[in-house]
Amino acid sequence: MSAQIIDGKAFAATVRQKVAAKVSDLKDAHGVTPGLAVVLVGTDPASQVYVRSKGKQTIEVGMNSFEHKFDADTSEDVLLALIDSLNADPAVHGILVQLPLPAHLDETLVINRIAPEKDVDGFHIANVGLLGTGQKSMVPCTPLGCLLMLRDYHGSLSGKNAVVIGRSNIVGKPMAQLLLNDSCTVTIAHSRTADLPDVVRRADIVVAAVGRPEMVPGDWIKPGATVIDVGINRIDIEDDKTKLVGDVDYDSCAAVAGAITPVPGGVGPMTIACLLANTVTACCRINNLTDGEDFLS
Amino acid sequence: MTKKTVNHRHLLGAPVRDHIINEVRTYVDAAGKMGKIVSIAVDGTAEVEVYIRNQARMAARVGLDFDQQMWSRDITQDACKSRIQDMNDDPSVLGIIIQRPLPPHINIRSLQSAVHPLKDLEGMNPASIGNIIYSDIALVPCTAAASVEMIKATGLALPGLEVVMIGHSEIVGRPAAMMLMAEGATVTICHHMTRSVAMHSRRADVVLVAVGSPHLIGADMIKPGAVVIDIGINRIVTDEGTSHIVGDVDTAAVAEVAGWITPVPGGVGPVTVAVLMRNAKTAHMRQTQIGWRA
Repeated sequence: MSAQIIDGKAFAATVRQKVAAKVSDLKDAHGVTPGLAVVLVGTDPASQVYVRSKGKQTIEVGMNSFEHKFDADTSEDVLLALIDSLNADPAVHGILVQLPLPAHLDETLVINRIAPEKDVDGFHIANVGLLGTGQKSMVPCTPLGCLLMLRDYHGSLSGKNAVVIGRSNIVGKPMAQLLLNDSCTVTIAHSRTADLPDVVRRADIVVAAVGRPEMVPGDWIKPGATVIDVGINRIDIEDDKTKLVGDVDYDSCAAVAGAITPVPGGVGPMTIACLLANTVTACCRINNLTDGEDFLS
Repeated sequence: MTKKTVNHRHLLGAPVRDHIINEVRTYVDAAGKMGKIVSIAVDGTAEVEVYIRNQARMAARVGLDFDQQMWSRDITQDACKSRIQDMNDDPSVLGIIIQRPLPPHINIRSLQSAVHPLKDLEGMNPASIGNIIYSDIALVPCTAAASVEMIKATGLALPGLEVVMIGHSEIVGRPAAMMLMAEGATVTICHHMTRSVAMHSRRADVVLVAVGSPHLIGADMIKPGAVVIDIGINRIVTDEGTSHIVGDVDTAAVAEVAGWITPVPGGVGPVTVAVLMRNAKTAHMRQTQIGWRA
């Protein structure tokens, strides 16, 4: 048996199409153009690549993109003042502060300064709590992307045993909340878990989000299970070359699983697509157009 | 199994409660004037009054002022909210409790969100829940935290324990699961859509049950030696017409298998109000830290 490959790149393209259609509809019917503001402090090369990519895709789906770039030594006060002005700006519906911030800035303070309804990353503490109690919230982009792929592949997730490996604030914990909200029986496994192979073998759905290259081998996977690989790790191969691998050992897992996301081309492309979708959702909510929120389904 | 002697497998709430109460009492004695706890009830029933009386008694034991407010049934949502906002700004108010249930025209979630997170003694503001999920265990939902205290009372180390939480309510199951995960347990959350609860519960070192279904959990669902925390409170009427309180666990049968089991009543319940008082202490510490109090 060989697993069906869940093509995140193709799926992300359909999400972007739906976003673009909704953006066009919002413009025509309501004269509103969703706007995403991205804030970058410093010159971290990876962050610069992300920010450029986000800006480009934002414009491609017809939304307004606002980029705010600051020197690495920018003070907290300046950054907080910018967030206050973005919170008050009616053209801005989503605010994203690219993490990590330089060490002298308090990330928690900065993130929680964003108006919760514009917090398209879903990291504001109020959004975390709303998601954790099954209420309407902004949902972190990467776990949202995983959920959309799972729903697309399975239809209903109700009653399935799901194991999330990793308890990070940005993936593991919100992923567990989302799977619970979709009525999965959810286990959160992590570094302290006594018998990880045994826990993972029970799962109909495995979401691996630990950031350790190829740590999940195929013999941990229940035959036919769905494997979502959130990890993106660069490893050395021969002749000074590197390649990207996930948190699961792709070949051995694909031989056992029913379906699996590749790395790259699986979860990765979904993250920015979901950021765009969240911006549209935020725009709908801010303008009280909540009937148009289900544009992804 | 009708003997009246103490079952050594029963994990009782009273000593855990007393330990917490003493700790809070010591803090209050040292802190001096801390401000009052305000309890808000709207058109309260007799059942709510039992809760309030119990909380008032516990506040007296730790030495905190307890202001019982009963608002009339015709109060509007906006009026409730604005009174709560006044309390947020009032330094003589240490913390706020909103008694449930509320009349149908009042939206409880909106009021819980209106309470300032540092005065949220019940840990029900979304920001309080968010902090728990981010492993900042400060102001916590009382029943969930009481359940965690009962597990700790066994002396078992939480890291690596397999825990099964049956019930995923926003006020008990989900926060308890997050708190236990923050302590290093491997937590599985089961609920009404779980295909086989027994399949999960039988391999667990700790089983917590909060579903509100009398005697749902039998001995065949529990691993020998496991800890069983019964959070259910159900009133049942016997054939003879007498009514009494039972939990979600068949206590007598499970006590034959489990290493520890919390009885109902007398297990988690008494600890819940003690945790409410400890939240008052935590609120005072955090309010002092950020400069609200000298």
